[in-house]
Amino acid sequence: MRAFLAGGLVATVAFAVAPAQADTAEAEAAPSTFELSNGMEVVVIPDHRAPVVTHMVWYKVGAVDEDPGKSGIAHLFEHVMFKETDDIGPEEFTTIVQRNGGQLNAFTSWDYTAYYERVAKQHLEKMMELEVERMTDLIINDDPEGPFISERDVVKEERRQRIDSNPGVILQEQVMSALYQDHPYHITVIGNMDEVAALTPQDGLDFYKKWYTPSEAILVVAGDVTADEVRTLAEKTYGQVEVASTEIPTRGWQEVQPLAETQTIEHRDPKVRQPEWDRWYLSTSYQEDKEFAYALDVALDVLGGGRTSRLYQALVEDQKIAVSASAGAWLSLHDTAPTVLSASPSDGVSLDELEAAYMAVVADVLENGFTEAEVERSRNSLAASAIYQRDSQASMANNYGQTLAIGGSIEDVLDYPDDIRAVTADDAIAALRRVLAEDKNYIEAHLLPEEESQDDE
Amino acid sequence: MMNKFKLGLGASVAVSLLLAACQVPAETADTTTAMDVVAPDSDELAVTVHEGDFATIQQFTTPGGISVWLVEEPSIPIMALRMAWETGAATDPEGLEGLTNATTYMMNEGAGDLDSLAFATRMEELNMSFGCGSDNEATYCSASMLTDNADDAMGLVALAMTEPRFDTDPIERFKREELIGIRTRETNDGYLAARARDQALMPDHPFSRETSEDSITAITQDLIMARKDQIMVQDGLLVTAVGAMSPDELAPLLDAALSGLPESSELPAIQDVTLNAPLQAPIVVDLPQPQSLVSFTATGPARDDPDFFGAYVLNYTFGGGGFESRLMKDLRVEKGLTYGVSTGISTGDHLNTWRGGGRTKNESAGEFIEGIKTEMNDIVANGVTEQELSDAKAYLTGSYPLSFDSNSKIASNLMGVRLEELGVDYFDKRNSLVEAVTLDDVNRIAAEYLQPENFTFIVVGEPDGIEETALTLDAGEVVTLDEAGDMEEHEAEETDAMPDPDHG
Repeated sequence: MRAFLAGGLVATVAFAVAPAQADTAEAEAAPSTFELSNGMEVVVIPDHRAPVVTHMVWYKVGAVDEDPGKSGIAHLFEHVMFKETDDIGPEEFTTIVQRNGGQLNAFTSWDYTAYYERVAKQHLEKMMELEVERMTDLIINDDPEGPFISERDVVKEERRQRIDSNPGVILQEQVMSALYQDHPYHITVIGNMDEVAALTPQDGLDFYKKWYTPSEAILVVAGDVTADEVRTLAEKTYGQVEVASTEIPTRGWQEVQPLAETQTIEHRDPKVRQPEWDRWYLSTSYQEDKEFAYALDVALDVLGGGRTSRLYQALVEDQKIAVSASAGAWLSLHDTAPTVLSASPSDGVSLDELEAAYMAVVADVLENGFTEAEVERSRNSLAASAIYQRDSQASMANNYGQTLAIGGSIEDVLDYPDDIRAVTADDAIAALRRVLAEDKNYIEAHLLPEEESQDDE
Repeated sequence: MMNKFKLGLGASVAVSLLLAACQVPAETADTTTAMDVVAPDSDELAVTVHEGDFATIQQFTTPGGISVWLVEEPSIPIMALRMAWETGAATDPEGLEGLTNATTYMMNEGAGDLDSLAFATRMEELNMSFGCGSDNEATYCSASMLTDNADDAMGLVALAMTEPRFDTDPIERFKREELIGIRTRETNDGYLAARARDQALMPDHPFSRETSEDSITAITQDLIMARKDQIMVQDGLLVTAVGAMSPDELAPLLDAALSGLPESSELPAIQDVTLNAPLQAPIVVDLPQPQSLVSFTATGPARDDPDFFGAYVLNYTFGGGGFESRLMKDLRVEKGLTYGVSTGISTGDHLNTWRGGGRTKNESAGEFIEGIKTEMNDIVANGVTEQELSDAKAYLTGSYPLSFDSNSKIASNLMGVRLEELGVDYFDKRNSLVEAVTLDDVNRIAAEYLQPENFTFIVVGEPDGIEETALTLDAGEVVTLDEAGDMEEHEAEETDAMPDPDHG
């Protein structure tokens, strides 16, 4: 029902692999990491169930690193990476991968940009060669009618599709902007329409030269490979790329300033049929304060993590005042991430009434804490999610890549189940009290139908 | 509605594992010529082992009579289980649309001594998930569990299958959610497009019925109980499983869960759909948004049609191959008109379509439709090239192993093959069926199916530049069912270099 702008907001991201008590088979499947002489990091995650591999290259650059007025360049540039190189003709990159039976894609966030191919294992070297080629020899055409310009139009359509057609996402964009006033997270990754429309091929070239270099890249290979195999291939391909002569660029990461005031943002839209209520607080992130973040993970799971949670039981099941009620945080950002309280009212219930009932549950929890049993269940669920993750080679690769790209380590991933199990009920409630303290400011968001006059302010 | 498949989750991450549960490979094949051997190491069960190219499939029937396909996969401690019955929502009684959905919704809402909360809590304690869902033609249940406590997890599945409670509170919650769904779908462009399509092409068929406030309100506990016994019967029950478990370990757990089901039930047969004649001008549905959703639908080949594989290969070149498709090359890469446009072949026991769609700004809707029709005319008149054919085959065969890299994918693939009765050796033969397609095949099939006048176009938004409008509908005027999300999923899957600014 709700499309979160920040994909991972509700499902608290859980990543990790084998528990500590690994047997021999598990040991062979243990991930490993090493670095090439030019500074490129490599992670290998063996998974021998099928003769396929997931090959990813993560660049330590994202929308936080964009210059003022150039919003959207990290993402638009990601599109341009598929266009043309010295050795690969226009639009041929995809052709070559798909002729090899490969699937490919890419994505951009505030904190990173990543490219991947999934192929039968015998094509791994070819994929490395292709990624090296576009890491070093991309051609950006400055023809005003050229591919950079038509791709800019594509991105404008993408913005219309992802954001401008979705009232809930329009509202979230406004909320993020208010929450991160002086921080780059305040602009959506896809960028402002006007600024995207004004981006030039030169902007693309500048961005490429500054950021696309081995020392700013992480290679992740998951699948039917060993660390030795990957090392041999990686040294032969990526290892041949020269160390960048320029200085390592400074990233746009910075401290997030506390909110100066609490405010309410309302968005009314003719497409809205069901109102929604949110509160956004600045909390923490895995990178900023791991222990705090893990404790918050557990706390938000108990408070609003699903059907058994305090909020769902109280508001949806018992009082029937809401049709949905949840709480979650998007902790996998580098800088301070938001914690979001959310609910949608039953018919005839105003957002004011809903808010009062919601915050009464929160107040009760803050005062009286959690039971040991519910904390135990959440800890185990979060830890077990790491085991379920092992079923997907691609999500394993994703988790390692993302963790490293935002400054974490392979140990962060490996230790996650143990670390999350170490969270106590006291830790959890303390983390929640810290985020939702009386003196904390927040952004409240109301999504409402256009005509309905719901005077709840 | 949008959430056809309802899951109870112990571990939140299991969502992605389970959503694949009701996917069926969009392909077909001839009858079986399996080279099977009987396993020497099973005393109790007669297990037939098929050593396939992609998986070793053990087939057996439990003492209780459940037919199972199992792939033993010891390397991760997870078991993926799928169950399917070939009765779906299309047999909901008139005036009770939504009843099958209500029944599947309720399957993890309490059983035996456990009410809804206690059941969900128990799933969390066991770090398992279990949930059911349905489409027009079939009903599915799916479970994921850790092998370590599979006995207890399967015990809970057994309780749900044999002693479901169907308590009033969760039924009322289901109704509240459904009534909101009915309201919100009126501004969902994908839903409106599907509704307009169905009303235009198959207005009198059960597939075009949809839930209403009345039909949801009319659903009762007794009706749900009776419906469960109609759907979840032993006759036709299919089970697939992938995980670290042997046939002898799995069989008694399945018998405890499933062999107490009614033997069979009688429901009226569904008629095959014959689509109405295509409309020659687009149907426009007004919706205030900056983009128009354009969808187009024509009759497609059936899965057992000898031309199916030819059409499947052709579809890759025309609109199914992501950036490699002609539609993407022209409308996205060349013209910058869209973020994504794609086509797909949808087959079933009673309905076969070839359809596609994409979004473009309202100002360019007319140009977008003209572009699609131009590509159709071109492929009909001139066919595809040898290179395009060979590229399509290379991708479709070369990428096939990627469908077998996780337990949950394999379990779903096995179920797809079982539901379509493709034979246990289908996986081994499938690539050679792709390879056998000739240039003559695809060009003949293009000329037969891809004529623009075969397609009915639907436009949802505030489009400009549409020449003629057959029928203008206000959002919310018509009748349909719940296939709204399908095309969007397709786009997401097929569109390459799709950036995800919100990856998390």
